[in-house]
Amino acid sequence: MGVGPSTKETSLHHFRDPLIKVLGEDPGIDLMGVLVFGSPEANIDKILCSRSAAVIAECSRCDGVIVETDGWGNLDVDYVNCVEEIGKRGIPVAGLNWSGTAGTFVVESKYLVDVVDFNKNPEGIESNIIGENNYTEEDAREAVKRLKIQMAKKERGLKFF
Amino acid sequence: MAENIELRRLSIKSYHMTEVAFGDENLITPDGKWTFKEDMSEYVKAHSEVIEDIKLQIIMPGDHDRHTNAIMDIIPLSTKVLGKRGEGITHTVTGVYVMPTGVDTEGEQVHEFGSCNGNLKEMLHLNMAGTPADDDIIVSVDITFKKGLGQERYAIIEAYKAVDEWMQQFRMQMKKFDGNAATERHDYYDTVKQGQKKVLVIKEVIGHGAMLDTWFFADEPCGVEGGKSTIDMGCMPVMLTPNEFRDGAIHAMN
Repeated sequence: MGVGPSTKETSLHHFRDPLIKVLGEDPGIDLMGVLVFGSPEANIDKILCSRSAAVIAECSRCDGVIVETDGWGNLDVDYVNCVEEIGKRGIPVAGLNWSGTAGTFVVESKYLVDVVDFNKNPEGIESNIIGENNYTEEDAREAVKRLKIQMAKKERGLKFF
Repeated sequence: MAENIELRRLSIKSYHMTEVAFGDENLITPDGKWTFKEDMSEYVKAHSEVIEDIKLQIIMPGDHDRHTNAIMDIIPLSTKVLGKRGEGITHTVTGVYVMPTGVDTEGEQVHEFGSCNGNLKEMLHLNMAGTPADDDIIVSVDITFKKGLGQERYAIIEAYKAVDEWMQQFRMQMKKFDGNAATERHDYYDTVKQGQKKVLVIKEVIGHGAMLDTWFFADEPCGVEGGKSTIDMGCMPVMLTPNEFRDGAIHAMN
């Protein structure tokens, strides 16, 4: 699970993941697969693993990527690097991430514009309540919608970042 | 219009549990009855280097006004019946989920960044994808670690192994459940949708060490035995088909 109790994804969450459900049921999307990388502790490893994920995205010739994590704080380093490496390669990218008020990105990138904040806590904090700040089908649909807009813009030769 | 190519099918058959109780034997049946012994000394003994005690609790819907130690995970009881991960048949139960919790003998909770110990009513947000629903039963497996071991990686792994070993005996029984007796059946396909936008999902999971770990590829869905830790794989990316992912290829090991 992730770094804080309220954002942690349990094994049950993975078993019935809303994002995979939404993408799998969408007739306009060919869901290629799920690429999973761990978030290591050392910075140098974080950059390596997250960049490797972006390289796989490029080599697979995908039309778009949704990057998701249940972590925040130091996990932003890998997360943002992954999104940026995908964006720099000219691949449309949207995302799901918990920010609220307490967990806003600790690093910045212009490619983060279509990352959906799935905060549910009224004060936007890490409440320590298991499951509270988890993404739902509604959040997943929002990320898919944003990705589709980016992909449509790219197809029409428009600027999408 | 280009046709869809179906690569493989995964059928997940679920059996809804309605009666969960302590009893003299460890038995789960397709008609919704799950009975198990209260005594966990066998599993404590097998992992006695790190575990002091394990207590089971059956928490009925709405009966959440009680203390809980830090919630480590919520695990569906699922088993592979036919085929490899991501294809064939998987049996799972609904209506009840397993919830390991942890504390050490000194009262130190198993946590890193904030702890979810406290009143269960306040510390568990129900009805999410990763949590039980209002009308679900919870089986709490409360683990007491030896002093100071609740935040040691090897101890956490041992604890998950103990929970997994306990669950495995029920999985073995579930493998023999009559497929026609399932309450629900869901068929999932790995499909090539020709001509549609190719989308990749990238998931970042935890691999920091200590009690922050994620395991892949256990023999059973959301299991431990046979699995590999992302930490041991250098946290490098691993590609899964959508069906492998749906078939419990990942176990969150916090």
